[in-house]
Amino acid sequence: MYSEELVVGWACRKVNRPVKWTSDRTEAFLADAHGRDHVAHAEMAMDKNGKFLAMRVNTTANLGAYLSTFATMVPSYLYAFLLAGQYSTPLIYSEVKAVFTNTAPVDAARGAGRPEATFLLERLVDVCAEDMGLDPAEIRRRNFIPVDAFPYQTPVVQCYDSGDYNAALDKALALADYEGFAGRAEEAKSRGKCRGIGLSSYVEACGIAPSAAVGQLGAGVGLWESAQVRFNPTGNVQVFTGTHSHGQGHETTFAQLVTEQLGVPIENIEVIHGDTSKTQFGMGTYGSRSLAVGGVAIAKACEKLIEKGKKIAAHALEAAEGDIEFADGNFAIAGTDKAMNIAEVAFNAYVPHSYPEGLEPGFDENAFFDPMNFSFPAGTHICEVEVDPDTGVVEIVKYSAVDDFGKLINPMIVEGQVHGGIVHGVGQALLEGCQYDSDGQLITASYMDYAMPRADNVPSFDVDYAPTNPPHNPLGVKGCGEAGAIGAPPAVINAISNALGIKHIDMPATPENVWRAAQTATS
Amino acid sequence: MEMISEQRIPASLDEVWTALNNTEILKQAMPGCESFDAVEENKFEAKITAKVGPVKAKFKFNVEMTDIDAPNGYTIMGEGQGGVAGFAKGSAKVDLTEDGTDTILAYNVQANVGGKLAQLGARLIDGAAKKMADEFFGNFNELLSDNDSA
Amino acid sequence: MYNFSYQKVSSIADAVDAIQKAEDGKFVAGGQTMLPTMKHRLASPSDVIDLGGIDELKGISVDGDTVTIGAMTTHAEVAASSDVQGAIPALANLAGNIGDPAVRNRGTLGGSIANNDPAADYPAAVIGLGATVKTNKREISGDEFFTGMFETALEDDEVITAVLFPKADASAYMKFENPASRYAIVGVFVASSGGAVKVGVTGATACAHRGMRLEEALNGNFTADAVDGVEIPIEKMNSDIHASAEYRAHLVKVMTKRAVEACS
Repeated sequence: MYSEELVVGWACRKVNRPVKWTSDRTEAFLADAHGRDHVAHAEMAMDKNGKFLAMRVNTTANLGAYLSTFATMVPSYLYAFLLAGQYSTPLIYSEVKAVFTNTAPVDAARGAGRPEATFLLERLVDVCAEDMGLDPAEIRRRNFIPVDAFPYQTPVVQCYDSGDYNAALDKALALADYEGFAGRAEEAKSRGKCRGIGLSSYVEACGIAPSAAVGQLGAGVGLWESAQVRFNPTGNVQVFTGTHSHGQGHETTFAQLVTEQLGVPIENIEVIHGDTSKTQFGMGTYGSRSLAVGGVAIAKACEKLIEKGKKIAAHALEAAEGDIEFADGNFAIAGTDKAMNIAEVAFNAYVPHSYPEGLEPGFDENAFFDPMNFSFPAGTHICEVEVDPDTGVVEIVKYSAVDDFGKLINPMIVEGQVHGGIVHGVGQALLEGCQYDSDGQLITASYMDYAMPRADNVPSFDVDYAPTNPPHNPLGVKGCGEAGAIGAPPAVINAISNALGIKHIDMPATPENVWRAAQTATS
Repeated sequence: MEMISEQRIPASLDEVWTALNNTEILKQAMPGCESFDAVEENKFEAKITAKVGPVKAKFKFNVEMTDIDAPNGYTIMGEGQGGVAGFAKGSAKVDLTEDGTDTILAYNVQANVGGKLAQLGARLIDGAAKKMADEFFGNFNELLSDNDSA
Repeated sequence: MYNFSYQKVSSIADAVDAIQKAEDGKFVAGGQTMLPTMKHRLASPSDVIDLGGIDELKGISVDGDTVTIGAMTTHAEVAASSDVQGAIPALANLAGNIGDPAVRNRGTLGGSIANNDPAADYPAAVIGLGATVKTNKREISGDEFFTGMFETALEDDEVITAVLFPKADASAYMKFENPASRYAIVGVFVASSGGAVKVGVTGATACAHRGMRLEEALNGNFTADAVDGVEIPIEKMNSDIHASAEYRAHLVKVMTKRAVEACS
């Protein structure tokens, strides 16, 4: 939350008219929260077969000069609690020291803590693989949480809902043609280029969040979500959600949920969000929660409509309520073709001339959903790069992603989220970085110096899914919005390290940094 | 940023030292300097318009001479505000050594620029500062040579 | 922006008159450097004199071995010109890789070289091809036009009218892009004509320049290998967060080699 948001609220009350504040780009660079500023030292103990026995992580996390909204949660609950990753490591020690510095405040940004955890862990796993002389895929297999161990209680508080990590890995290896890599690397060598391949088997915690859990952690709010589904006598349906799309396509996905559940044509459905004068109180969009939490609230509101509809239909069709079945938008007496469409039922509710006694008119239900657990999307991403040793330029020649998001309501929108997340992760790995000079002056304060990823920085992605069913989510969905930004950075850096035969390179792996690493490696 | 260099000036040590303390000469030598006025003993106020490419920024500098070791050298420091352009801070340690009829003027400049110029133009600051320093000392050299021949 | 007086003139004479009368006037061509600077209030000319209405500053023509490009010709126009593509394809490619489409639709050849940003692309071509800059007063050789960081030989009331580029037997421009701005961290234009090689280097130092040591190595041995033995002086190289002086010196050689290879 930025102070400007509060001031604008106060100002419009004071002058009694709408007030708008806009920052300019430089201001945004200087004062908007930055993300992902850790220095960490991690150690892994293994047995002689490469099985992880214990992990120890010491982290210093920069909070910036001022405390920002989620700042303390990001490097603790959203970071340390993910250090088990996809592995059955039995003992994990994490100590995080959060420090104030002279930089802009550091707070949540796509992934918030999970990219930091995943980067550390997946890099460490690759280093372990190298030390043990094991293939990176093999060392992961030896340590995956087995499919029958779910729900799985990690040593770091989180209890994973469902997962089949081997299935995702298998699919990813095939999609990436992992077997054929050696041949491609040879061919690249003949052109003077170094090819590398890198894996990242990530898991993350999203679908923010069970209110009891966050209450225990000191939050002052509950993280349920709200929905109101208003079926009008005209036959159109308005869905009011407490979430707010900033481009994730909720308007489509939520309308799809409702059309599938209520059998109403999708063009008759309107999703309303983001206007507090129209919607009921809600908790917003972040932490990949809109579908996993907000979508369930919508589904529950729809269920309430169906329950009410059965009563109305039973009365109208002169049948017992228990004999009424609802399917494909119609309430029918079981085993007969005597049926009433839901739009008719709605009309009936607003013109209750012949209507169940004691039942309120209207066809308008709301629901709140408080998840019982976080949701845990997971998967394996495989990145293949070609490094030009003369310039240090890294080209991503192939990127494969296999993710478990549970059930996909709209595959095209999910794929869009995966693409966006991967590009965000590639940006972190190769291009982005806020830089201050030794006097504390931010010198990357425009897009002339702060390098954002563009379309020509990435290839087309190969995306597939290996879904499992999360038992506690009524829709069987897991959040998908941040996964790409979490899985991608270590995949890219693992690939570069593999290409150059080096132990590690920090992000961003700029051309000069890669060139220098290549020089050192060959000398 | 840091710049360490030296200039050979065809003038005696005393002449150079005098010129280094002559506000009129300093004003003429400094590119874009509109005024260089004494405020107190060894303290000055300078108005400088810095022009680098498309950018034209007016700075108001508070200048101070310290570590005065007449006639061998001093440190001249300045702190300037450039309005929306930002601010600049710098110091130059100047040392003079006689070499025949010439003087070697050695300088060690430490400078940094902050605010908008640094945010948007970090890639150009070192080059611009070096250019200004070169111009200053080049002009200074010329002014002294002119004075000599006058 | 601060207030200013805006005039769009339709002749060079009017442009010169306007700038002489202005208290603190500036010409604007494509505005791709000028306008953002003014928006940031880092420049506030009293008068902005728009050269966009002067027809004689526009146009591309080929006459024998010379390609003449009007000062107000946009990068997009140069890139798309079949004349330039046919006569000096390396120049069309260079123009086509300046900035992005929006910048190329407005930015001009004259504006670019008059500004002489250390990271601009065109200066490397003007120097590498041995071009001549024509103004309302005289003709200035490419070698003498660029005099320092953001500095040229132009006088305050001098207007570039066109640049005359001689064709080369073979030429190429290789640019190592800043990943953020896509400006040249290092850009090398190599041209070979009648056995003589010229090399224009931009991005690397405070001002675009002839790569004399590179020319020495390449004249007589026009191969990428000839560049190996050349020592590029690190102390002259720019250094910033995107590239250190050492890396930049290395890139000058790499880009030169690639330009030479592209020439064959």
